[in-house]
Amino acid sequence: MGRLLRIILNSSGLFTFLILELVCVYLIVHHNDTQRAIWAETKSVYGSYFTEQLNRKLAFLDVARENEILRRENAALLARIPGSGYDTSVDTLQVADSLFQQRFTYLASRVVNKSPYGPYNTLIIDRGSNLQVERGQGVVADGGLLGVISEVTPRHARVISVLHLDTRISAGLDNNAFGTLRWDGRDPRRVTITDMPDYVPVAPNDTIYTTGYSNVFPTGLPIGTVESSLPLAGTGSQNLTVVLLNDPLQATNGYVVRDLFKEELDRLNTVR
Amino acid sequence: MTLAAFFSNFLRFVLLLLAQVFVLNQIAWGWGGRAYLFVFGYPLFVALLPLRTPRPLVIGLSFLLGLSIDFFSETLGLHAGALTATAYARPLILRSLRPRDGYNIKARPSIADLGTGWMAQYLTLLLLVHLLVFFLLQTFSILFAGEIAIKTALSLPASLLTTGIFVLLFSSKT
Repeated sequence: MGRLLRIILNSSGLFTFLILELVCVYLIVHHNDTQRAIWAETKSVYGSYFTEQLNRKLAFLDVARENEILRRENAALLARIPGSGYDTSVDTLQVADSLFQQRFTYLASRVVNKSPYGPYNTLIIDRGSNLQVERGQGVVADGGLLGVISEVTPRHARVISVLHLDTRISAGLDNNAFGTLRWDGRDPRRVTITDMPDYVPVAPNDTIYTTGYSNVFPTGLPIGTVESSLPLAGTGSQNLTVVLLNDPLQATNGYVVRDLFKEELDRLNTVR
Repeated sequence: MTLAAFFSNFLRFVLLLLAQVFVLNQIAWGWGGRAYLFVFGYPLFVALLPLRTPRPLVIGLSFLLGLSIDFFSETLGLHAGALTATAYARPLILRSLRPRDGYNIKARPSIADLGTGWMAQYLTLLLLVHLLVFFLLQTFSILFAGEIAIKTALSLPASLLTTGIFVLLFSSKT
């Protein structure tokens, strides 16, 4: 501090000069029109240039904050596009008829997510336990089958597709012979029906229907047409190759089938 | 600074102020509707201050003189700024013009003590600094360098002549 004071005192001439010169420049700029105009012009030219340079150099200091702002804005904008809305309107098909009591209801749903194509295809629909979607309910689409509900959350449900190696669906011909529909994991357009007795006459292009024995799908929904039959020697059964009516991989909509009698039928199954 | 020196400098302050304001400021010569030649007498006050005057005092006094002239000529800060810069440059000029064996302790910046040649160089350098700073502040932009040069080149001989006459007058008086 003492040294600093000595430096200031030793160069007191310089400091006096600088202070008084600054006072003079101030007086010149504030009391003379020509110089004031030149000063304003110079300041606007060089001032904006320096500000621009400075801002360019210091722009990176602000990037984190700018990013945060942009992220929030993006989130707000994305939340407003139609696809991000959850459709809350309920489209349930239900018919009031005094002669036929309603057994199955259909709940319209959209497919919101699909697994990449593989041997174990699943998909997600936008209807869940809030609308009585339950594990084990079937999903039909485009005049064919889509799959079976496996997991349920309040607003969404996971569907095990027909094209899943673990799928087992009861299916049969219109002459009441039936077997088990499964997929061999190879061709997404064809499924196989096993355990069909080999004495049942089957012709190509026969229609395969659901049997309704598993309480998953209603009775008599068409699934596909028979392409070929292959009797398995020694087992008394034959395998049918069935061409599906729909393409489960490209389904965008599905109707969740709800069996209103399921509880009653389940009670029967538990009695021995 | 003795009492006599104080009074003689005070008198010089007042006389140079009056001379500049009432006589020399009226002189302005030029062409094309613009004045290029101005006459400056008051830098002589800074030049004739005793050699050992403290530097801040020289600067403060020159600021006062310049400001006084500014008040009368409605160019607030212009003369003051130029004369303050001149006062700051005075020790540098004195150092560059120092005789081989240095300045005598009692020496005053006068023809009698330091000679006519020294005095002429001293005044020329001092006026040159003063005029350059003055015209720089007047145009207020380095872009007018040509104008500054013309004005300085024209005003320097006139101012030198005026101050030379004043020096002869004052030296005969004291």
